[in-house]
Amino acid sequence: MGFLNPGALYYLLALIPALALAYLVRERPRRVLVSSVLAFRALRAPRGRRLGGWPRPDWMFFVEMLIIGLAVLAIARPYVTRKGHPIAVVLDDSAAMQAAAAPGRTRFDTARAALKDALGREGPGEVSLYLTAPQPHRAGPPFASAADAAAALAQLHPVDAPSDQAALGALLSELASDLRLRRVLYAGARPLAAPVPARIEAFAAGDPLPNYAIGSFVLRRESLGQAALHARLTIANFSPVAQTLHLAITGDGKPVGHAQAHLEPGQIGAIEFPNLAPAGVYRAELTPADGFALDNTAWATAGAVKSISILFVTPTPADAAGLDGLSGISVRVASPTSFSPTDLASADLAIFEYAVPKQMPSVNTLLVMPPPGDPIFGFNVQPASSVEITGWPPTGPLTDSVNFRLLNLRGGEYLGEHPWLQAIVTGSGGALILAGERSGHRIVALGFNPFPYLGRQNLPMSVLTLNSLSYLAGFGAETAGYHTGDSWIVPAGVDAIVAPDGKKSDVTSGMLFTGANFQGLYQFISTNGAKSLRAVNLANLRVSDLENTPSMKVEASGSGKLAEVAPRRAPIAADFILAIVALVILEALIAYRRRRPVVTV
Amino acid sequence: MLGLPEEFTPDFLARLEHLRIKTRREFEGLGRGTHLSPRRGSSLEFSDFRHYALGDDFRFIDWGLYGRTDKLYIKLFKEEEDLLTYIFLDASASMGLPEADRKFAMAVATALAFAYVALGQGDRVMVRVMAGDGKASTPGFLYGRHRIVELAQRLGAIRPAGQLDLATALARELVSVRRAGKVFVISDYLMMINSVTRGLGLFTAANMDVTAVQILGGSEMAGAGLAGDLELVDAESGERVMASIGNREREQYRQTLARLSREIRTFCLRRGLHYTLYTTDLNFHDFFLRASADFGLRH
Repeated sequence: MGFLNPGALYYLLALIPALALAYLVRERPRRVLVSSVLAFRALRAPRGRRLGGWPRPDWMFFVEMLIIGLAVLAIARPYVTRKGHPIAVVLDDSAAMQAAAAPGRTRFDTARAALKDALGREGPGEVSLYLTAPQPHRAGPPFASAADAAAALAQLHPVDAPSDQAALGALLSELASDLRLRRVLYAGARPLAAPVPARIEAFAAGDPLPNYAIGSFVLRRESLGQAALHARLTIANFSPVAQTLHLAITGDGKPVGHAQAHLEPGQIGAIEFPNLAPAGVYRAELTPADGFALDNTAWATAGAVKSISILFVTPTPADAAGLDGLSGISVRVASPTSFSPTDLASADLAIFEYAVPKQMPSVNTLLVMPPPGDPIFGFNVQPASSVEITGWPPTGPLTDSVNFRLLNLRGGEYLGEHPWLQAIVTGSGGALILAGERSGHRIVALGFNPFPYLGRQNLPMSVLTLNSLSYLAGFGAETAGYHTGDSWIVPAGVDAIVAPDGKKSDVTSGMLFTGANFQGLYQFISTNGAKSLRAVNLANLRVSDLENTPSMKVEASGSGKLAEVAPRRAPIAADFILAIVALVILEALIAYRRRRPVVTV
Repeated sequence: MLGLPEEFTPDFLARLEHLRIKTRREFEGLGRGTHLSPRRGSSLEFSDFRHYALGDDFRFIDWGLYGRTDKLYIKLFKEEEDLLTYIFLDASASMGLPEADRKFAMAVATALAFAYVALGQGDRVMVRVMAGDGKASTPGFLYGRHRIVELAQRLGAIRPAGQLDLATALARELVSVRRAGKVFVISDYLMMINSVTRGLGLFTAANMDVTAVQILGGSEMAGAGLAGDLELVDAESGERVMASIGNREREQYRQTLARLSREIRTFCLRRGLHYTLYTTDLNFHDFFLRASADFGLRH
């Protein structure tokens, strides 16, 4: 044992006379008022006051002396020297390791047992433990011995996330090239391609396994105003024989859809449910069961297709009429003078008619005939008594199904060139529809006024309005949903996230959340107590293909000879602090046992 | 009971009703009562004969004696008078310690119980408080059972304080005693034995019938709470004693305290005094009723 800060030991030298003095002086006798000292006169004087008397031994004093001594030693930063070449253990804890390797035994169990056996054969030396999902990482500081590492392995469980194969390969290559390492033990679902570097001892966990999987579960409302939801699921048959797969969907626990598909070996198919009854949470279940249950279930929430809340800021509130009648839309009207940016907190998108906000809006925004000269958007507005559309893209989220030839525009304004909004529809005098993104939000600016919404009475304009609102509300773009192992930006207003296992994490808006490693429903809790759900699925058919797991190439550089390893200093100040805490508790217990009330006798 | 300490339950008062103060000799009283007096009187208790004198009541002539001696003798009877009862209560600082033991409260309760018994049988009671921070001594005799509440209120207002030299204090009180009678001295007697013997001896010398009641605290007797190196301060004299107290020393203290009590008891028994020790950890009712004979009370 040595000390990184041996100068601190001088404190100990200074401490010895102080401790000795404190011991010799001893505590002052306690003063007690008694009814009479008559019966006490015959008692002996305190031992310490008698000439030549030995001080009374006091355990408390020795405990305190030990505590102070340990504190000084801890300040001196003690360490022990460890010699020998360390070992690296890489355990695949990805979702694929949940697959059954034998009845009642998963691949993870097999891999863990193989590693524990291998560790039992190793001699002394530090052991560094690495896990692979969702990204390869070291699980805490190195363990002092193989036994400690084996004990730590027993506490581990696989996650629902896939591992990054490229990063894992890089890690193994790096470890195999590290000449200080005596051995690298790897156990995982993915075998290593030959030749395996000599330093790596690999354990393949599990044989190929027939598997049926749900690849994705996407919900969308195809257009604004439609109550029913459209679900699309991809399913796959990763087995050597053709199989009829049954897919059942429940909405809030009630059956809402059922379908089946016959898939050839290795085939991936899609099943559509165009009219799913509205529900909060949907769960898809694939049968028949197989050895990897995780991808036979998928979740989706209707949160993304909920009723859209629109804040309509306009000096003419009558223009907002008509939108309310659309299914899935709720409209709140505000005047430009009473508008405050905080009003946007409860809105999914905003419409500013003849007005612009004084700061960049925090939601997707539709600007209708914005006034010129505002400092935020800086539109180069050219008013015109009549505007004419001359150019539009044949396809696009804003222009799909709009018959621009029939679009009859009265007065308006040309919006001209804009630095960050692209012209989508142009007229003879400049752009009439601009669209783009800023600060993560979609902005659409119109040089004409499509409001009030008249429905079938003005079909081209109504389609254009719904296209604009759909674009701003995020409709029409299929997303793959959220996958296990992905990181999220925490949405605005969310204070806490509750994982499917019930574990609650306190978060702040805008931070990166990296704890979505398990499949299921994550609950978002907002500052005002509102709760919303987000579905997270494995949704990775590459992981689900347990029949064809490609091997991983690992290359080691260097000669392969072990490098000389300098003795490593392992700090043990933490152990000293633990001992101090234990002694303080012991002293408190002694003091408690010795306590006595102040008495008057 | 209203105005009386909590120890004076209706049941306890009923039990006190049956007690009478018993004296070892007869005392002259101040009025008619239930105790035989050395005076000649009209009770049924025969006292003496004397020669008939002119004017004597014929009914008291002993005709039998006249038949044998041919002389007229008059039969004399004893008088029944009240008993003068003196209660001396130690209210020095030592009676207030240890507070938890409630020594002084128990001393007051004992004094009130004696007073209640005396007043209940029509005797006169004088209560004198020695030391203490209040002036609760009755200027003269109390008479009548109803005065017990007044007495209880006076004694209840006293807080133990000051230093007491028992011999000096009792000598001073003896001056205020007009006639001999029954004397109760209630104290913890935590003082030099000489002071105790001289003080109590004064009353025996004055032909009084004395009962000494020693009241000590339960924890005081056990030396509870005393451990380690202590600076012990006397509540009355302020004298300081340094002591290192462990189990052995505590036992030594108990033995010393017991010896001091034994010495007082021995003195009392030799001089014909009643003596009783009460430790406050005992039930007051049980103690008082069981020790009534030791007090000089009878049923």
